[in-house]
Amino acid sequence: MATRDPLDFDVGVEVDEEGTPSPSSISPPSSPLSYLDRDRHVAFFEMLYDLMPYHYQSQEINRLTLAFFTISGLHLLQALDRVDKDRVANWVLSFQALPRSRAELKNGQFYGFHGSRTSQFHPDENGVSVHNAGHLASTYCALAILKTVGFNLLTIDKESILISMRNLQQPDGSFMPVHVGAETDLRFVYCAAAICFMLEDWSGMDREKAKDYILNCQSYDGGFGLMPGLESHGGGTYCAVASLRLMGYIEDDLLSKNATSFIVNVPLLLDWCMQRQAIDGGFQGRANKYSDTCYAFWVGAVLKILGGYKLIDKIALRRFLLSCQSEFGGFSKYPRELPDLYHSYYGFTAFSLLEEPGLNPLCAELGMIDLAALGIL
Amino acid sequence: MESSEEDRGEPLSRMAEWRDVTPLPQDDGPNPVVPIAYKEEFRETMDYFRAIYKADERSPRALRLTQRAIHLNHGNYTVWHFRRLVLEALNTDLDEELDFIQRIASSNSKNYQLWHHRRWVIERLGSNARAKELHLIKNILSLDAKNYHAWSHRQWVLQALGGWEDELDYCQQLLEQDIFNNSAWNQKYFVVTRSPFLGGLTAMRASEVRYSVEAVVANPNNECPWRYLRGLYKDDIESLVNNREISSVCSKVINTKNNYIFALKMLLDLLCYGFQPCQEFRDAVVALWTSDTHPLDPDLATAICDILEHVDSLRASYWIWRKNKLPVAA
Repeated sequence: MATRDPLDFDVGVEVDEEGTPSPSSISPPSSPLSYLDRDRHVAFFEMLYDLMPYHYQSQEINRLTLAFFTISGLHLLQALDRVDKDRVANWVLSFQALPRSRAELKNGQFYGFHGSRTSQFHPDENGVSVHNAGHLASTYCALAILKTVGFNLLTIDKESILISMRNLQQPDGSFMPVHVGAETDLRFVYCAAAICFMLEDWSGMDREKAKDYILNCQSYDGGFGLMPGLESHGGGTYCAVASLRLMGYIEDDLLSKNATSFIVNVPLLLDWCMQRQAIDGGFQGRANKYSDTCYAFWVGAVLKILGGYKLIDKIALRRFLLSCQSEFGGFSKYPRELPDLYHSYYGFTAFSLLEEPGLNPLCAELGMIDLAALGIL
Repeated sequence: MESSEEDRGEPLSRMAEWRDVTPLPQDDGPNPVVPIAYKEEFRETMDYFRAIYKADERSPRALRLTQRAIHLNHGNYTVWHFRRLVLEALNTDLDEELDFIQRIASSNSKNYQLWHHRRWVIERLGSNARAKELHLIKNILSLDAKNYHAWSHRQWVLQALGGWEDELDYCQQLLEQDIFNNSAWNQKYFVVTRSPFLGGLTAMRASEVRYSVEAVVANPNNECPWRYLRGLYKDDIESLVNNREISSVCSKVINTKNNYIFALKMLLDLLCYGFQPCQEFRDAVVALWTSDTHPLDPDLATAICDILEHVDSLRASYWIWRKNKLPVAA
């Protein structure tokens, strides 16, 4: 069962080399259902919540991400009652990297949340917590899970997160996910923006610089690449537009406003997004590539933010998504393949954008339930 | 580097060399959520890794252990980071490290950590590594010419170490193999706009337009050259509108009455940007309309939107919306 970091997007299919049968060797199931098989998805996700099969061990480093998909997925399916909210909150909080003192916040490390227990150790006798590997994506997932289970984010030590997060921002405005060094690209700008947004505090980042970096990522064809110069890509475009929205640089429902100039080339962006819906009804992540379930969210959410979601062919999209619905529960990347957690989650978010009955409404720019719409905020 | 005992998946607990180490199990707390059913080999390897990592042991056996851990969990950035610390401490030959990465690259070619690690090594080797690196990336791209990581790495190498001279040719080769490869078109744009040897976008524009127009004529249903043409005029809309080659390839394609959707779109955009069409354009568009009952709108842009609403029906709502918003262009 192939799965990946939530923000790995469609940069390729990972085949599990541990001996699981490859998708092509599975005989095709009976013809697709004509409806969203909610109960089966709930059962599938409940199973994962209780125990993830060994196939997910290669994603161990992103355990919090797996937890986010599972718990937020159940919430989308209106099945959050399956989850022990206090237990989840306590478990998530245990991943927080805590500084011993205020002074430590200037040591360059990031006091966010670890993604797994790989490098989290109990502090030694002197209270020193070595090998702090707080990660931006894990922090985003942690906060999102806490919000999902109704935990009051104002009670956590947000100052440590925000002050130390500034250490991760680069001179060009991009973000590194961990202080020890890693790739920098739009995914982590998005994580940073989402973190500040959820904590309702923008002291964690220089928004202007982040905005400049994002604008540099807009490609000649209107979409956004993950870094300046890179090919426009559904995931990159989502990170760009969602970040700008979260940071307050673009208004909601831009397309219905009659302004003629925006900080990004909106008509070109819109046209690029619209062209991503392919003849099979699904969305592709890049021009001339195959449709993949998750882009129904990544690109669909961009259109939602801009106010252009109403322009897509929803019937055709629904038909494609249903062809990726698995008889085992969940969704696969392409029709007639095995489901995985990542594509399942984004299959649900895609159906939520389609306003499918039985699913909770989505906050497009956060990629999770719209708690305000549910009357929870 | 011959394969070690660790590589062969033998239990570490049975190896003499590891006898002095007490593996450190993960502490998932009293009430974990989404526990993973780790296989024994995985659990054991990570327990030993945790022990070595906590002790900060930067030894040859630690290096071998990171290799084993990477094999089981190739996205684990903590392991990769520690491997780098060990490589530095041991002053390992980094060319050997490149070979190691190359060996695991084919099954990990879409892994962020691997590419970041590769970049770290190349940064230390400097421009001597450039040729070999560009060659390796070509090999990866020959297996998958759209590998996003490979392209990202390639752009980084060019910008950090140079090697631009042959890049335009390379893009053209890839496009000869597959004219629909959007990654190659994007790289072409990257080279044309950033190569220190080519004189910049404006200088290159004429030849690039010619190339793209040929591509359009060969495959008018290929989105890439149309986007590329538009991109060549990024902020210089007036020049786009005045380019006869571009407007005439639109009418040429429309006149074939085949695969004309992108041509119609381009013509629509040109009109929105202020293009003044002569009769040949109206004639070409009118010839597409087959309805007797419903006459085509006298306004050419509106007429094009009506046609697109029918022939590009997946985007029917979008064309209706565009029509109502005329003359805002894409």
